[in-house]
Amino acid sequence: MSVAPSTLYPRARRARNVAAARWHRIGTQTQFYVKTLTSMGDAVVNYRVELIRLIAQMSLGTGALTLVGGTIVIVGFLTLSAGALIAVQGYHSLSNVGIEALTGFIAAYLNVRLIAPLVAGIGLAATIGAGATAQLGAMRINEEIDALEVIGVRSVAYLASSRVIAGIIVVIPLYSLAVLMSFLAARVGTTAVYGQSPGVYDHYFNTFFNPVDLAWSCVTAMAMAVVIMLVHTYYGYSASGGPAGVGEAVGRAVRTSLIAAVFVSLAITLSLYGQAPNLNLSG
Amino acid sequence: MTGVGGFFAMSADTVWAMFRPPFAWREFFKQGWFVARVSILPTLLLSIPFTVMVVFITNILLVEIGAADISGSGAALGAVTQIGPMVTVLVIAGAAATAMCADLGARTIREELDAMRVMGIDPIEALVVPRVLAATLVALLLSPLVTCVGLTGGFVFSVFLQHVTPGAFVGGLTLLVGLPEVVISLVKAALFGFAASLIACYKGTSVDGGPAGVGNAVNETVVFSFVALFVINVIVTAVGVKATT
Repeated sequence: MSVAPSTLYPRARRARNVAAARWHRIGTQTQFYVKTLTSMGDAVVNYRVELIRLIAQMSLGTGALTLVGGTIVIVGFLTLSAGALIAVQGYHSLSNVGIEALTGFIAAYLNVRLIAPLVAGIGLAATIGAGATAQLGAMRINEEIDALEVIGVRSVAYLASSRVIAGIIVVIPLYSLAVLMSFLAARVGTTAVYGQSPGVYDHYFNTFFNPVDLAWSCVTAMAMAVVIMLVHTYYGYSASGGPAGVGEAVGRAVRTSLIAAVFVSLAITLSLYGQAPNLNLSG
Repeated sequence: MTGVGGFFAMSADTVWAMFRPPFAWREFFKQGWFVARVSILPTLLLSIPFTVMVVFITNILLVEIGAADISGSGAALGAVTQIGPMVTVLVIAGAAATAMCADLGARTIREELDAMRVMGIDPIEALVVPRVLAATLVALLLSPLVTCVGLTGGFVFSVFLQHVTPGAFVGGLTLLVGLPEVVISLVKAALFGFAASLIACYKGTSVDGGPAGVGNAVNETVVFSFVALFVINVIVTAVGVKATT
């Protein structure tokens, strides 16, 4: 084996190469996202069976996750505990200043605008997102993706676009359930555990509950689902380095997609409520 | 069900091994550095938008009822009691636990753990205990960082973008949040690090089935640690609230 001749300024050169590789990765990532988004139509037209299979699989999860009830139960459970948190912390803090009657209002306001979309996004990234990365990564390591390309299947449309579409479709019932769970937990926590009368809670909850906000928060959840699925399919699709590489890809994908999802949610919140807060306290 | 039993058995072994003399200091420092390295950037990137969002949403409400002056207390309440631990959960489970599980899973697949057992080295003592302790320590240290970054972000956002008086913001910080809340938030963070790293180590050491197995194990680590951590959060919050009133 011949040894490469030593170069001038090896450190600077190495630093430059690392920076160039990072820059290059942003480009390939963008290319992958654009390709995935543009071949969504292709996936709907040509790979419908795969799409339906993925939707079924995503709502229930794979492997050991099906045992505990799949994605639906996990996301529902996460929002349930977040709603319970509202009851505990909100009731406590509000009773510090003597207005614990307003817990219902806090539940209607914070659950819809803040907690349900964020928690649902986190749940999506952890369940269907990380699952997609694990699947695609394993396929890449076993050279199944190359095999697909060889037999003439457009792998981006077949694997990535179909997962993004399935994610968007799955997130709608999933998010509805998540919101219901968070309302339920906040109400039960406040009325049954802390002993506030249900009438007081319901009165403030119904007075300040804003259906338009709810619709927008569902849109936020869908946008987060798109971003999460894009990031996760990219990291799965480009996994390398054997079994350890798949694990690392899943970890990196979860990190990136959590950050991306939170920023998406922040951007939507700011653009929705930044100019007109759309909050009517006078009724 | 076997998995649950196995998890508790391994947790008990780990706690037992923590107090027995041969302690893998080198591995502990290496893991601590590793966990800190993978989590520091996600921590900063997650805690800023999180707090800005909470501060923004609460400020809308406070401006509407004419109480923008106490937005500092809202920010402090959010950042210290909920966002600090919550972001720590996300980072520890999403970044540290996944990396840990991937690493251990790869070693299990390559039968390195079996090789260690053959050589008479207990993997729990040599690998799991330092990892669990390192993650607990780093989680404990991350939570104040999240809180500080969050409060700074909230301050900048409230004062420069929403025109809250800086003095009122700072003055309101300690209105609802005191030492007990800070201590509870630190306890939460330490518990999160402990639980998440135990789950990661269990899932990592019980991997089978090649690359797909490692991927699934990491996926399950994320899911289970999120679920466990949310539950811990609710329980510790409830207990803490009871204890401080």
